[in-house]
Amino acid sequence: MKRRARIRLVVIYVSAAIVLAGTVGPFLWLVSSSFQYERQLLNRPPQWLPNPIVLDSYREIFEGAVLGEASGVPYQSRIFLRSFANSFFVAGSVAAIAVLAGAYAAYPLARLTFRGRSVLLFGILASRLIPALSLAIPIVLVAKKIGMSDKIVSLVFINLSFILPYVIWLLQSYFKTIPLELEDAGRIDGCSRLQVVHKIILPLSLPGLTSAAILAFLLTWGEFLFALLLSETPASYTSTVVVSLFATDVDVSFVSIITAGVVSVIPPIAFALIFQRFIISGLLSGSLKG
Amino acid sequence: MQAKAADTRKEMSQGLLAVLFSAPAVLVIAATILAPFCIAVFLSLHNWNLKRPGRERFVGLENYIDWLTDSDFWEPLRTTFTFALLAVVLIVFVALLISLLLNEKFAGRGVLRALLLVPWAIPSVVNALLWKWLLNPQYGLVNAVAYEIGIISEYQNVLGSMPSVMIWLVIAYSWIHIPLATLLLLSGLQTIPGDIYESAIVDGASVWQRFRFITLPMLRPMLSIVIIFEMIFALKVFDIIFVLTAGGPADSTNVLGWTIYTETFRKLDFGAGSSIAMLLGGITLALAILFYVILDKGVEQ
Repeated sequence: MKRRARIRLVVIYVSAAIVLAGTVGPFLWLVSSSFQYERQLLNRPPQWLPNPIVLDSYREIFEGAVLGEASGVPYQSRIFLRSFANSFFVAGSVAAIAVLAGAYAAYPLARLTFRGRSVLLFGILASRLIPALSLAIPIVLVAKKIGMSDKIVSLVFINLSFILPYVIWLLQSYFKTIPLELEDAGRIDGCSRLQVVHKIILPLSLPGLTSAAILAFLLTWGEFLFALLLSETPASYTSTVVVSLFATDVDVSFVSIITAGVVSVIPPIAFALIFQRFIISGLLSGSLKG
Repeated sequence: MQAKAADTRKEMSQGLLAVLFSAPAVLVIAATILAPFCIAVFLSLHNWNLKRPGRERFVGLENYIDWLTDSDFWEPLRTTFTFALLAVVLIVFVALLISLLLNEKFAGRGVLRALLLVPWAIPSVVNALLWKWLLNPQYGLVNAVAYEIGIISEYQNVLGSMPSVMIWLVIAYSWIHIPLATLLLLSGLQTIPGDIYESAIVDGASVWQRFRFITLPMLRPMLSIVIIFEMIFALKVFDIIFVLTAGGPADSTNVLGWTIYTETFRKLDFGAGSSIAMLLGGITLALAILFYVILDKGVEQ
């Protein structure tokens, strides 16, 4: 029995090591590459760890943003920080508005009895089944017609509608876990429905609201299709668009491309690791519970 | 009892409250999903090319018939199915293995589970950039490792030819999709009560028998969900194609998502683009329903 337990441990830790390497290895290599000189990246065999630690490509991004063309860095590097700020604006706005609007929409679905409740819930979920690619065509056409193309406000609006069904689903399942007695007690004390939502449901749902906000932020941060189709100038490029401009350009040095990739995932990866409990519970309840 | 009485008394106002509360969200969704969907249907029934303004006219199902009689539809469809099949199989298989590992108790399990969120959090475009660097024909890490341990005698341009380009595309795509599938399967595994396994051990069931006759059947509902979701995602793949292969080499990774993009936004033929997008949407929905019926039936048995 003792020997079997030891074999079990060996199998587990060998598998865990493989999973660990496969999970973080590729990304760590990207980080390691970003701190090297371009000529070191061309070494065979590759240089695993940066020596010395080179920050030139990171400096390029800041110099490019401040000095513009005078910095002499590639076009993508000059517009990168601005796109980074745009991404923050879009993802932050979407997260805030989606949770606010989503919470009000989720409450009746979780708690009230009214005709058409299941139709509403089904309709909201079914809207996510239509592939974004088929919606992109009319959305781009209309946005150009009414002069809303190349504006980051449009990106907020579009992302919002793709995130909302998800947030509503997640929040209504969270609201259902709050004991009905608490709400009834509030109602007996004379609270209106709106006060019940504000004073009882929302404060008790902080973990659920946090999960929803973080997921909304991360999903919006990584959105590419609409960011690509609805932007025409650096004023509305998000970081994913500039990353694609980097990655499809053969004239930019490897290290600049790689560094752009690393910088653009710092916010999502930092968020993911800091808030991992909220994310995992959000991912699971969002997709499972009714 | 009292609360129940209050509820019936306010029946009317509950409906009104529901309308008021959900109005902002529903309006946003209607404006950006339902309205565009109707316009997309409208466009797909018209000749609508931005390169030839003023020539827009109703053509009925002509766009659809054109696609269905054209190898420019069937070839990308086959490529899309190939990609989706390989990706779903790889994702579900690897996710199942990792979730079985994470279902065991060992020190460091929580850390490993948290680190799964690293690939999950990486946007698909950055993932494509990452793999473009890993697979670089002259300096890529994949080449370097394979060369150093003697699998290959010279560096390969894996993205330059079939079938290696499809294989690596699937691997790159799957890398960021495996974590969510793993977490879902893990949550499914954790709902299986431990005492079933204990009594099976008492009855002398082997590890494989326990997996085959307890784990797999009880995990089946969650497996079905994961398979259907991953299939829906994989059928509409676009981002990674845009950065990594642009449909090439020689159209070998030209999936329907890429065809829709080039047709609409490069050739500016919005009518043709809309109709093929509708076809992809219809195929995806049909397959999702088909899979649901098949997998759900299996669960009942």
